[in-house]
Amino acid sequence: MLFLPNWPTDYLKRHDARLAAPLALYERIKGGLRLAAVDAEAARLGLSVGQNLADARAMVPELTVREMDRPLLEAAFADFADWHSNTSPLVAVMNDVSGFGDLVLDITGVAHLFGGERPMLRLLLTRLRDLGYTVAGAIAPTIGAAWGISHFARSQVVERAGLETVIDALPVNALRLAPVQIAGLSQMGLKTIGQLRSRERKPLQARFGVSLLERLDQAYGLIEERMTPRLPAAERYAERRFADPIGLMDDVLMTCHDLAIQLGIRLEAEGQGGQAFHLFLYRVDHKVMSLSVNSARLTRDPEHITKLFSNRSERLAGEYDAGFGIDMIRLAVSSVAELDAVQLGAFSHQGVTEDLDQLNDRMSSRLGTLAVLRTQLVESHIPERAARLVPALVASNQDRTDWPAPSRPLRLLPVPEMVAINAEVPEGLPASMIWRRESYKIERASGPERLGAEWWRSGQRLQLVPPRPPEKGETPPYIPKLELFEPDGVTRDYYIVEDAAGRRFWIYQQGFHQPGEPAIWYLHGFFP
Amino acid sequence: MPSPDQQQRLAALRETIADIERKPALAEARVRVEQQGSGFPILAGGMLQEIFTDERRNAGALLGFALAQARGLLTQQRMAVIYLQLADEAQKLGMPYGPGLLSFGFDPDALVLVRAANMAELLWAAEEAIACRAVAAVVADIGSHSKLLDFTASRRLSLRAAATDGSIFLLRYGQGREASAAHLRWRLSPAQSAPRRYDAKAPGPLRWHAELEKGVLIKKQTEWLLGWTENGYTAFTPQRRDADRLVSDAPLSRAVPAQLADGLPQTA
Repeated sequence: MLFLPNWPTDYLKRHDARLAAPLALYERIKGGLRLAAVDAEAARLGLSVGQNLADARAMVPELTVREMDRPLLEAAFADFADWHSNTSPLVAVMNDVSGFGDLVLDITGVAHLFGGERPMLRLLLTRLRDLGYTVAGAIAPTIGAAWGISHFARSQVVERAGLETVIDALPVNALRLAPVQIAGLSQMGLKTIGQLRSRERKPLQARFGVSLLERLDQAYGLIEERMTPRLPAAERYAERRFADPIGLMDDVLMTCHDLAIQLGIRLEAEGQGGQAFHLFLYRVDHKVMSLSVNSARLTRDPEHITKLFSNRSERLAGEYDAGFGIDMIRLAVSSVAELDAVQLGAFSHQGVTEDLDQLNDRMSSRLGTLAVLRTQLVESHIPERAARLVPALVASNQDRTDWPAPSRPLRLLPVPEMVAINAEVPEGLPASMIWRRESYKIERASGPERLGAEWWRSGQRLQLVPPRPPEKGETPPYIPKLELFEPDGVTRDYYIVEDAAGRRFWIYQQGFHQPGEPAIWYLHGFFP
Repeated sequence: MPSPDQQQRLAALRETIADIERKPALAEARVRVEQQGSGFPILAGGMLQEIFTDERRNAGALLGFALAQARGLLTQQRMAVIYLQLADEAQKLGMPYGPGLLSFGFDPDALVLVRAANMAELLWAAEEAIACRAVAAVVADIGSHSKLLDFTASRRLSLRAAATDGSIFLLRYGQGREASAAHLRWRLSPAQSAPRRYDAKAPGPLRWHAELEKGVLIKKQTEWLLGWTENGYTAFTPQRRDADRLVSDAPLSRAVPAQLADGLPQTA
């Protein structure tokens, strides 16, 4: 557990060198401007959180103030938390009390990489202190205990055996309680957790609710507390740290290739292959950049993985920013499944389906998944629904029923375009039409092919996901008034028409012809 | 001193070698075409073909002509055709439509549609795709002029195509012709369809008018009136609308125009 009491001010000062101490952040609370965060210098001068801004200014005339931007700070803290996954894969932001300031790392089975728990804690703390953050930390068997110790005691490592004595001595505030509960406890004269623990549980529950006992048990490890890690834990990954930070994308890709080889060897030994690969770039200045690529089929081929990442990186050319450098790179794999040991290397297998899939992967990684598509036929008589474009990565060859295929255009316009009719024929095909400012004389035509709308939907509204019922005192959510579906209005009569030059179009008349009203015609596609 | 007869033969051989070295794909194609005899030639892969049409509204015929050739290149080993289009031109030109492909006689599963954001990405995708040995043909639908698509770009594509034996079809629109390293350049326009049996008012079997502007396939023939069914091309006499008579070694019915710079078989 790491606790950064002055995170908001420290963070802002690091990003804007012009902000001088003492610095305080204010926030509008119940109509009044009150301090929400103060830095160490301001705290030394006697300012505290919750003070009125005008009072604070009167006490410390040279005070620098800024308005607190919570979403920004929370997002920045989340980045900061992600960056800490270079020490442990399971990192969470503890937002029981505040959206920023508390960081939980699950270091089970990690500490030995840093030479033990004590050196690890020292490393984490000095690393941040060198950067100008005020930080306290604690390593303890339970999350609750670590929180209390990091907030209310010196930074230390607490073993399971010494846990009770350390917690007993902590004040009751160290239990993450609501302010009301703390006030009640101090009224009762209970100062430390030890005193609280020796009381009867039933009366405590009756007075302070079950949450107090829950917090108490969590601190002592009697019940389990779970953390929600920010990044999904990848079981298989390869990583490399750099003594000197690197910056160039080429270097990153070379490293990625090395890591892909390491990872590939490991996956091969396990007889596994992956479909999703993630590259995490840990920047020196507490940011993590992540790139992800997907592959259509299971793979562990380092060349292919590197190729995908290099395509992906070309796509973000402008967005890539190494900042002051990258000091660690991790390549993780997810969506892992069994892959036979024979297939390795792009050209070892004779089948060409793999080649095609790899080509689709490469194109998707550079152009985007939604840019590489395949047609999937859907059984629908509505032309635009009969074909669906799906990403080639997920498309599968389908069985087709051998119905006689109706004549359909080779190209379809995504949105039908309206055509003007200048020589109208009542109930039937016009003799000529104007489309895109060109006039076409219709020489030959076949049709109509009447495509009715989906009559089974007639009189219905579009089905929306029903909203949850409003709670008491809440205004019911807005439900849009959708029009009733009326199939007659959207019935289409399709014609294949040919003009004097031999161009062939697919046009349709929308709705049924009403005497006295102009017919509405659209052009929908081109025949070869 | 070799005799004049020998000299002549030597010169002819030298020309043949030069022909092979400069544009092996086209030379090979010509040999194959000569073996096929009459009708519209079935072209082998490994060529960069530009197919022009005068206006965007002929887009349907243009795609049909390219896909008809591409279908002939599909084999068990080369099982895909990659269609490239700029994402913002879909509404202008329309997108290949699955059921339409079926009724045209092209398997929609064999077609991969790629929608590139800009010309640089489209050209990258074209090169990447043609390098893949599972790709039979790349059809690039380019509705607008771009500076990036210059002689160098087309030279790269033509070399790639020749190296991998897949064909690239560049679908272009408009009257302007830029310098390009394409092996063949077609000018395609739709023609009035043949009469339909039992219904004279309805459009019948499709007809295209294809004109070879660059490259030579069959000596002295540069124009074809084509039909397409699911079984392949049929060629008709260029001038006559009589649909039932196939041409067999028929002489051209009009004078062949002088070969201008445009029609030179070498690089443009």
